[in-house]
Amino acid sequence: MDAYFYIILGVGLLSTIICLTAGLLKKAPNDTTILSVAAVEVALLVYLVGSVIRVIAGENIAGEAWEFWGYLATALLLPPIAVYWSILERTRWSNFVLAAVGVTAVVMAARMNQIWY
Amino acid sequence: MSPRPIDPASDATADKPRNTRNTGPGRLLIAVYAVFAISATARAGYQILTKFGEAPLAYTLSAFAAVVYIIATVSLSKPGVTWFKVSVAALVVELVGVLVVGALSVFDAVNFPHQTVWSLFGRGYGFIPLLLPILGLIWLYRRRPSAVHRAPAGTQDTAP
Repeated sequence: MDAYFYIILGVGLLSTIICLTAGLLKKAPNDTTILSVAAVEVALLVYLVGSVIRVIAGENIAGEAWEFWGYLATALLLPPIAVYWSILERTRWSNFVLAAVGVTAVVMAARMNQIWY
Repeated sequence: MSPRPIDPASDATADKPRNTRNTGPGRLLIAVYAVFAISATARAGYQILTKFGEAPLAYTLSAFAAVVYIIATVSLSKPGVTWFKVSVAALVVELVGVLVVGALSVFDAVNFPHQTVWSLFGRGYGFIPLLLPILGLIWLYRRRPSAVHRAPAGTQDTAP
């Protein structure tokens, strides 16, 4: 596991905890929960930029390259979709949808790390 | 003369049923199903394209699971009695699949050495594959069409 994974682990779990807490407190999605999901997207973008630079620098992906990029592309799509959804229906349940983004990103980042090394 | 309660047959909601299954907890359910539909499809596609010969049965099961998750995701988000029935069917198939594949992978590990979403009752996915159909069927039961139609007039959003 590299630094990219640990960044996503920290940001993802924090986002999940924030959104989960807001949902349990019966709050609708607000700036805090939506920004926490935006932070997950930023962490994933850092991973994307870092990975592109490493590939250009000549580093090899040990596993299937297209599988790695597939995971990364899918993970990058999740936060915008979840935020869009949470704006469409502003109930506490949308906070649980937002909470799912963080853990999913962590799981996918773990898998991406496995593929890379 | 007090107005009659809405007649389900002539009620506008009978022609264009208001979806009561894709709001609130239902949205969360659809979101989780969507994630599983995407990941199961990607995984099954990858397994079948690259190493189908290694374990045809396991990878066919993976593909089958992926199709079930797609049908569940779509049907849960659609209104109407037909889609309700499709949802129930998909979730029952999913539950049976998790239980049968889970049991087979425990008791007959020789013939099920390769991982599918449903192996070991979905342990590789935090047992979510086992929980999803149970929670989903509870949700569908609580929002079953007959119960929604019998709901008191005060809870309906249309008034004549």
